[in-house]
Amino acid sequence: MSTKLTKNNGREGRWSASSKLAAMLIAPSLLVMGMIILYPLIHAVWLSFFNYKLTRPDDIAFTLTKNYLRMVQDETFWLAVKNTLIFTLFTVIISLVLGMIMAIAIDQLPKRFSGLRGFILVPWVVPGIVVGYLFMYMFDVEVGVVNFILQKFQIIQEFLPWLMNDKLSMIAIIIAHIWNQTPFYMLMFSAGLMAIPEDVKEAAYVEGASRWQEFWHITFPYLKGIVAITSLLMVIRNFNNFPIIFTMTGGGPVYSTTTSVIYIYRLAFEQYEMGYASAVGAVWVIVLLIVSIFYIKALQKDF
Amino acid sequence: MIKRGFSLIWSFILAIVLGVTLVWTLFPIYWMISTSFKTNMDVFKMPLDLWPKEFTIQSYINLITNDITPIGKFFINSVITSLGTVLIAVILATFAGYALSRLNFKYRKSILMGILTTQMFPLVVLLIPLYILYVKTNLLNTYTGLILAFTSFTLPFGIWMIKGFVDSVPVEIEEAAMVDGCTRFQSMRLVVFPLIIPGVVATGVFAFLDAWNNLLFPLTLINEVAMKTLPPGMILAFGGEFKHDWSGMMAASVIVSIPVIVIFIVIQRYLVQGLTGGAVKG
Repeated sequence: MSTKLTKNNGREGRWSASSKLAAMLIAPSLLVMGMIILYPLIHAVWLSFFNYKLTRPDDIAFTLTKNYLRMVQDETFWLAVKNTLIFTLFTVIISLVLGMIMAIAIDQLPKRFSGLRGFILVPWVVPGIVVGYLFMYMFDVEVGVVNFILQKFQIIQEFLPWLMNDKLSMIAIIIAHIWNQTPFYMLMFSAGLMAIPEDVKEAAYVEGASRWQEFWHITFPYLKGIVAITSLLMVIRNFNNFPIIFTMTGGGPVYSTTTSVIYIYRLAFEQYEMGYASAVGAVWVIVLLIVSIFYIKALQKDF
Repeated sequence: MIKRGFSLIWSFILAIVLGVTLVWTLFPIYWMISTSFKTNMDVFKMPLDLWPKEFTIQSYINLITNDITPIGKFFINSVITSLGTVLIAVILATFAGYALSRLNFKYRKSILMGILTTQMFPLVVLLIPLYILYVKTNLLNTYTGLILAFTSFTLPFGIWMIKGFVDSVPVEIEEAAMVDGCTRFQSMRLVVFPLIIPGVVATGVFAFLDAWNNLLFPLTLINEVAMKTLPPGMILAFGGEFKHDWSGMMAASVIVSIPVIVIFIVIQRYLVQGLTGGAVKG
């Protein structure tokens, strides 16, 4: 690969010179990412073949498939998978719809109100741990403002133990995440709406399209790409979501809000099952890689 | 230009949607701030007061003067590690983003995709081996260790963002500069860099937010109290028996949130432009 010219656009100069410079510029980034992400990832897969507990550090045995076989029969693992799917599905779909409604409403406003968008974006930058504690407080059974308001409007008679009930806790967790994430969708959709040429909308109006028809036949097709990419990205994000659940419920009561990521954490840092936790992690990485492939495909197709 | 007018019903629907949106978005933040200025007596009293009856900054004073969980120290640690992450991430991402946009080399596409994929990895999986690695390399309980960890997770986004911005700078401008005698580095610094500043700012802001908000890395890679950043510090302060010091918890939440909210509001324009620019261009 020494002196050959690239099939470039005639402006890149020689292959080797360009490659050398590129290597110099990229190496530092790859080095850091290799050390913090790639190496530990490989090590985690390696650990997943061992019977490795921190409580018995000298008793490490190579078991190959034992951890993986255990997973198949581990009911908690499957519960965690189910929880992750429910949590992600509801969070993504509801945030997506709310985000789109908000974006369209703001898009209709005159320009001088565009500062409003900044306010609406605030929940998105609030640190996860703060979101977790704030919603834990608001959903508290005794002093929580959610119970207070619901009772005031006579929706409930008695205060609900949101975070202590295995069904309600998942709802509370999902609501906290929706609050946190909706602004992001709004931001993406706002950008998409701005990209729709005015004359297309004008033509639709002149031709007598109703608002609904305009949305369905003009606005939505323009947003479709953004819908696909944003939801895939947020599925991945929510598959990995940690701080809000960790602070609000810690995965409980019992395992009712334990998602896969929380389960891995609990296995590793509460039960010190390093080998088994790594195996669950390895499987989870594969699941995420599959989703990522769809994400990357969508990215390449649409943009 | 002919535009659809606003009918009465439509204006009404619009007003309701916006009203609900604002209440839904801002009420929790209002509630956090208002509780932080209440006495714990007021917090436990039903019916709740929407505005503190007795306005007090006692919770903030308690937080700052508490030696067991020194929030001032946590704050400084957060500032140091976050700014360190911004500095390193911006430099590395600018170099890598430029190279991936402008230079032609083998594996360019694979590297780009590989970088994108790392963004999808669950951080929690890496914690066990990373902890072992940090023990071996003496990076446990160090700023360097935290900054490296934060940087690696914010880099993928930064690199893609900068690449998107460099893509949008016409090659001809650089060619002209090089014809005039600029070296590659000079053209990078003097021609391209000024044009991609919005992208650089966005990258820096995201790096700051990522580092400031990160809980898992400092939770596992720092076990000395004096080295903790704010998120694990909050867990330390409110995790156990103090779980019901709601006013104190909300005061700490306000302290943790203020820097990110202020930064966000100040550079909001850049951020929106940067994010949408980067996302739409891929």
